[in-house]
Amino acid sequence: MQSMELPLVLFTVLSQAAIGLVLMNAVRQRRCAGPGEGNVRMEWTLIAAFMGVGIAASLFHLGHPLESYRALVHLEKAWLSREVLAAGIFFALAVLAAITARGKGSPVLMWASILAGLSVLLASGMTYAPPALPAVNNALPTVFFLISAVVLGAGFASWFAGAENQPLLARIFVTALVVGLVVRLTVPCAWLSGSEVMRQTGMAWLGAPLYWVHVALMAACLGVLWKNRTIPVWLPILALAAELAGRAVFFSQTIHTAMNIGGVY
Amino acid sequence: MKKQYAFLVDSERCIGCFTCAMACRNYYQQEKGVVWRHVYPLSEEIYPHRERAFFSLACNHCENPTCLNVCPVEAYTKREDGVVVHHQEKCIGCGNCIRSCPYGAPVYNPVEKRAEKCSFCHERLDAGLLPACVQSCPTEALKLVDLATLEPGNHVQFPPGFPKNDKVNPSTRFILPKVPTMVRR
Repeated sequence: MQSMELPLVLFTVLSQAAIGLVLMNAVRQRRCAGPGEGNVRMEWTLIAAFMGVGIAASLFHLGHPLESYRALVHLEKAWLSREVLAAGIFFALAVLAAITARGKGSPVLMWASILAGLSVLLASGMTYAPPALPAVNNALPTVFFLISAVVLGAGFASWFAGAENQPLLARIFVTALVVGLVVRLTVPCAWLSGSEVMRQTGMAWLGAPLYWVHVALMAACLGVLWKNRTIPVWLPILALAAELAGRAVFFSQTIHTAMNIGGVY
Repeated sequence: MKKQYAFLVDSERCIGCFTCAMACRNYYQQEKGVVWRHVYPLSEEIYPHRERAFFSLACNHCENPTCLNVCPVEAYTKREDGVVVHHQEKCIGCGNCIRSCPYGAPVYNPVEKRAEKCSFCHERLDAGLLPACVQSCPTEALKLVDLATLEPGNHVQFPPGFPKNDKVNPSTRFILPKVPTMVRR
């Protein structure tokens, strides 16, 4: 088992919650004919807070956090540099949107935030898909991160949405949860029939208590929605806990190729 | 082909004595737990004999190094002779190279809070000396070669037990252990 990388768990999950909120904000504001739905300033403040806390947390995984600004120098090749840049731009846009929010908020800031947010998702997905981790050396991290963004975005957006948009958010939340559950359950099983390191990763994920905590919490969220039909105010917190558990599994249980040198690949 | 220094690991000769790994530690006086060169025993699934066989491995000084490509602060450079050098003073300790190298070459130094890895003893190469590990090997199982001038022979790039990754193109070459002679009485 590798390190759980808690700072990276917090950064990736909170940044994806922020990006998901922006996506859901765009969906809602486009459907809204009036001056804007809910407390737009509070919503953008939460988006900026999620991203700000995530970025602050990410500094704790560095040996030398005060030199983190230098992580921007290798934009030409390193996806991590691109991730840092995109996350910085997203955070700046979110702060600006929170300060200037009126009515529906600025559409320019919203679309720029969406673009920056999707760039963060792609860059994060590429950063955490290195050749040393064959099980996730593909599009899976991006898919995982996108699902997390939609689940958390729909969940937390329910805090700000009017009654007319609650059913839409509940539908998006349920759909993302079902897709997330299917992906989370099938992917480790598919790894079991892959190469040796992929098989070991599948075994490690399926044998990790946190993996089952993630699955159980996602299923619990689905159960609550099945009963309530709308998203209760506490449910996004449960979904956030689920995603944190799942991300900890992603970082700690994905097997590195070097762990099997001398063995069959 | 451009000059590319590489380790030639002769598993037929290697007796798993760890002298290469000890020489590396002795030369660089690394912190406790920081190991640049490992000696890996081949599993019985690959080498099913009573005799054991080993791969002595450090950084493979790849043609297209993952560590260099993923490092956000450009702490890695590749020299004209193919040696991949980590400039520790530039490193911010993000661990991205450690997570990304398929061969586990970069390691974290908990005292410096930065990554580090085998430097191919480039300062010794520049002085006309062999790397410490190569010089110390008592069976000459570890050799310094230049892939640009290495004659075709019985060496391979991706033996069983070594992760295959064409994209990064590791420079290390291997001579496989022979099947031991069975004497029945």
